[in-house]
Amino acid sequence: MLRLVISSVRAHVRRLLSTSLAVCLGVALLAGTMLLGDTLRANFDSLFQSALGSSDAVVRSSNTLTTDGEFAQDLIDGSLATELSEIDGVAVVAPQIEGFGQLTGSDGEKLGGEGPPTFAGNWIDDPELNPYELVEGRAPVTNDEVVINRGAADDGDLAVGDRTIVATPEPVEVEIVGIATFGGEDGLGPTTFTAFSLAGAEEHVTGQPGGVTALLVKADDGVSQEAVVSRVADVMPNGVEVISGDDLVDEANDEINADFVGFLRIFLTVFAAVALLVATFSINNTFSIIAAQRQRSSALLRAIGADRRQVFWSLAGESIVVGVVASAAGLGLGFALAQGLKALFDAFGFALPAGGLTVSTTTLVIAPLVGILITMLASLAPAVRASRVAPLAALRDVAVDRSASSRWRLVAGSVMLAGGVVAVVTGASSGALGRAGLGALLTAAGIVAIGPVAARPAGSVIGAPIARSRGVPGVLARRNAMRSPRRTAATASALMIGIGVVTVFTAFAGSLKSSVDDNVSAVIDGDLMIAASQFGGGGLSPGIVDAIDALPEVDHAVGVGTGPVSIDGRTRQVTVLDPVASTGLVVPDVVDGSAVAELGDEQVAVSEPIADDNGWKVGTELDVRFTDGSTEQLEVAAVYEPSTTIQDLVVPTVMWERHAVQSIDTIVVIGAADGVDIETARSAVESATTTFAPPDVLTTEEYVADATANINQILGLVYVMLLLAIVIALMGIANTLSLSIYERVRELALLRAVGADRAQVRSMIRWESVVIAVFGTIGGVALGLFLGWGLVTARGAGSFPIEFAVPVSQVVIIGVVGAIAGIVAAVRPARRAAKLDIIDALAASA
Amino acid sequence: MGAMTSTSTLLAPPRPAVARALAATKVYGTGDQAVRALEDLTVEIPGGRFTAIMGPSGSGKSTLMHCLAGLDTLTSGQVFIGDTELGALSDRELTALRRERVGFVFQSFNLMPTLTAWENITLPFALAGHKIDTEWLDLVIGTVGLGDRLRHRPSELSGGQQQRVAIARALATRPDLVFADEPTGNLDSTTGAEVLEFLRAAVRDMGQTVVMVTHDPVAAGYADAVVFLADGRTVGAMEQPTPGRVLDALKTIGS
Repeated sequence: MLRLVISSVRAHVRRLLSTSLAVCLGVALLAGTMLLGDTLRANFDSLFQSALGSSDAVVRSSNTLTTDGEFAQDLIDGSLATELSEIDGVAVVAPQIEGFGQLTGSDGEKLGGEGPPTFAGNWIDDPELNPYELVEGRAPVTNDEVVINRGAADDGDLAVGDRTIVATPEPVEVEIVGIATFGGEDGLGPTTFTAFSLAGAEEHVTGQPGGVTALLVKADDGVSQEAVVSRVADVMPNGVEVISGDDLVDEANDEINADFVGFLRIFLTVFAAVALLVATFSINNTFSIIAAQRQRSSALLRAIGADRRQVFWSLAGESIVVGVVASAAGLGLGFALAQGLKALFDAFGFALPAGGLTVSTTTLVIAPLVGILITMLASLAPAVRASRVAPLAALRDVAVDRSASSRWRLVAGSVMLAGGVVAVVTGASSGALGRAGLGALLTAAGIVAIGPVAARPAGSVIGAPIARSRGVPGVLARRNAMRSPRRTAATASALMIGIGVVTVFTAFAGSLKSSVDDNVSAVIDGDLMIAASQFGGGGLSPGIVDAIDALPEVDHAVGVGTGPVSIDGRTRQVTVLDPVASTGLVVPDVVDGSAVAELGDEQVAVSEPIADDNGWKVGTELDVRFTDGSTEQLEVAAVYEPSTTIQDLVVPTVMWERHAVQSIDTIVVIGAADGVDIETARSAVESATTTFAPPDVLTTEEYVADATANINQILGLVYVMLLLAIVIALMGIANTLSLSIYERVRELALLRAVGADRAQVRSMIRWESVVIAVFGTIGGVALGLFLGWGLVTARGAGSFPIEFAVPVSQVVIIGVVGAIAGIVAAVRPARRAAKLDIIDALAASA
Repeated sequence: MGAMTSTSTLLAPPRPAVARALAATKVYGTGDQAVRALEDLTVEIPGGRFTAIMGPSGSGKSTLMHCLAGLDTLTSGQVFIGDTELGALSDRELTALRRERVGFVFQSFNLMPTLTAWENITLPFALAGHKIDTEWLDLVIGTVGLGDRLRHRPSELSGGQQQRVAIARALATRPDLVFADEPTGNLDSTTGAEVLEFLRAAVRDMGQTVVMVTHDPVAAGYADAVVFLADGRTVGAMEQPTPGRVLDALKTIGS
């Protein structure tokens, strides 16, 4: 039997190769994802080890509020250091101040800030506790001297002795006195670091003399981290906690893994899943056709004494060979992919310290195993079908692929589809995302199941214009596509699932984009805006608003900041603004209570869904805990419609400043004075704020374009995914066509004999392919839009409202690309069919 | 001079040489493996007659038919249909020639399974994009007796009915000549006899020219003349053959 399998693989090598490619790509993505994930995790681990691991214990405030990506921690009293250093077993205590500060390069351009954080803090004198190491110059002494990391120095063309500006976010003029490396590298990844003296950091970074972010403790030799931690913990006052160095590293690792690495992994895993899903359909289809084609030889095997198991294994064995070979190739490709992605990171300045890929046994086992299992699973049904052939079939000339769609399949598919649609619709209307998600899976499964039932009428409708306009080749193409509905459906399924997934993403991104647009224009009424970059913790100095307000070209301006508070033990994001200044510039749509512009110092406004969820109304008194640990009782004065630009609550600036470590704005909204055109106002604002080195001054439209730019980036990635799905589905279509041509060789010869020219034969194959591709594309787009609608609607309002919007142009692009895929897939098979040797093909019929 | 512009009328008097092969040689393969299927063969197919080509397996009868029909090309020599020399034609021109001036009836698999009987019969018109010659088609369909089966697919027709559809398609364009390759090979003798009667009727009543390749002396008995082939050459001819005489002649060739 083994010999039979091998000879069969050899005979079908070409066809199996294109099937293998689908498996190979899927496995490559999976392996690449796992490799990159492990590598990033290992790299970050070693990074944090050198950044944080040098301390045996770290003393810090226990008042932390963490929300998505943002982190606010209160300061502690720096004088605790004296007490700490007297504890038995403590060798060194070093105060640490951490904050943000953006450097200006020698050309006046800001450094970094477009992603990786721009850190600022104090220079720690103890070399063992300081992860940075001076390579040039000296440590800072006076308040306006700084040490910067080598990467920042190189980027900004800055050298020891240069003077430049650091925005903390107040512009501080400093002199660079030293250049430092981080564990021998240019810096902590692509981040920048500006180190003041302790006094300098207190003055410029926190603005609170005596306060520090943390105290780093080094233990005496032979004293364990646990011992130091417990001894220190005994003497710490309330509101201060101590954590061991190892735990701190773990904490940082957990955070980055949950955040950045986690996102990357999820994203790449989705890619891999889509590829593998599409591959499953392709494999199933190929093996179904092989099984059907081999019906007579299977029957012959049975007739001469092979039992069912042997017939089953003759096909299943072939799938194992394909699975093993393709998965091995996929693993290899995965290594190349991970290496390539890593190089991409490096190219974007995200140089990771430890080189080389981290290869875990899990990757080496899981990735190929998934590939092999998927191949086997997909070929299971065809192999079982092949084994059930009656021995007598060898003697009869049976149709190769009768492919009647069974009633059972229709019933099961309809039930799944109906159940799925109901779950999606009810999930959408009641905001139950989980139910909608489950419904989405059911709907997709149902559609795949009833595909063969739909294929005949769909092929008929899609093919009708082709049959009408393309003459006989069109008529034949249409009927060929309708001829074996199961095969057509299976071939189209691969494309349908791929395009469906992509459409869901597109619909989601499109909805997000139009929602951001709607939200910004609904809430922001200003003429111009200045927005801090969304990442990196940088911000805008409140001084910017003051400078702008003084301009005659400007009517007034308002600074808007964000930050976390805690209410009833839950962290909430708040928008911080001066209510009076916000008049006519930032106007949340109030549904109950007074306008936001009329908020009193002891009042807050709350977004509607948050208020509803908690039963808060106008007049409700809330206990709001700030980052400094103190609590204020504030009254709800207004409830507003949720918006992407305004957070869960609005808190007046006066209240916020009382409790905040660093008061910074994230956006400044500016209203031009009456009669001043926007460009005049813009240049006035620009020249008034040059000392702050702020980001560009934008109009509201430009701001929206900026805010939605990341969505476009994600869409770009989605299109890469589309391409991938299409390439795999394309191979599936080409495969099916080749097999159909092989089966219909006598028809082709007959057509040629009675006078069809080569172009007509090519046309027939091409249009059949287009019918299949369009069937899959339409199905995929319809499925994707429906599921996109369901998921977006179910995700619903919340604090970040998204309303479903059909991204028309993208959907059209997807549709056109799908149809073109059909034409492309047909190129090779059609050429082969047209070159057919009529005499040989006729001889095959004798 | 396509089928549609053909000047031939019903019951036109026999015209000499509708198709000719002159010093036709066909060699498959090269060197030691070379097989000489046709060897300096010259033959004329007279118009308005039913000619059978006979010979043992490997005698070159199928190759001759393929070359005469423009399905295959000669190694050397010439083939003419009317005044057209096939060797000078491109693939596109050969295709057009087959579509308009030649009809085919094969042993089996004569019909496109996805097309109805009517669509199969009119396929050459559809491929050429020409208008259907309704009057002629009515005559053809009436002769082969298919009136009520035209909307059926081949799978819904019996073997004999399928061959009748094939004959109707072969005659539909009023071709210069119809090639039939073992047209009764897959049929029982009664149905086979019917099919042969139709071919003979096409010649006798409709003035068509039919060339049939067969190894069945009974089938050859329906023809007006038989040409015998052996080893790629013509080795004899017979007018007004009967199955018995044909069998005798074949025995002579075999020895």
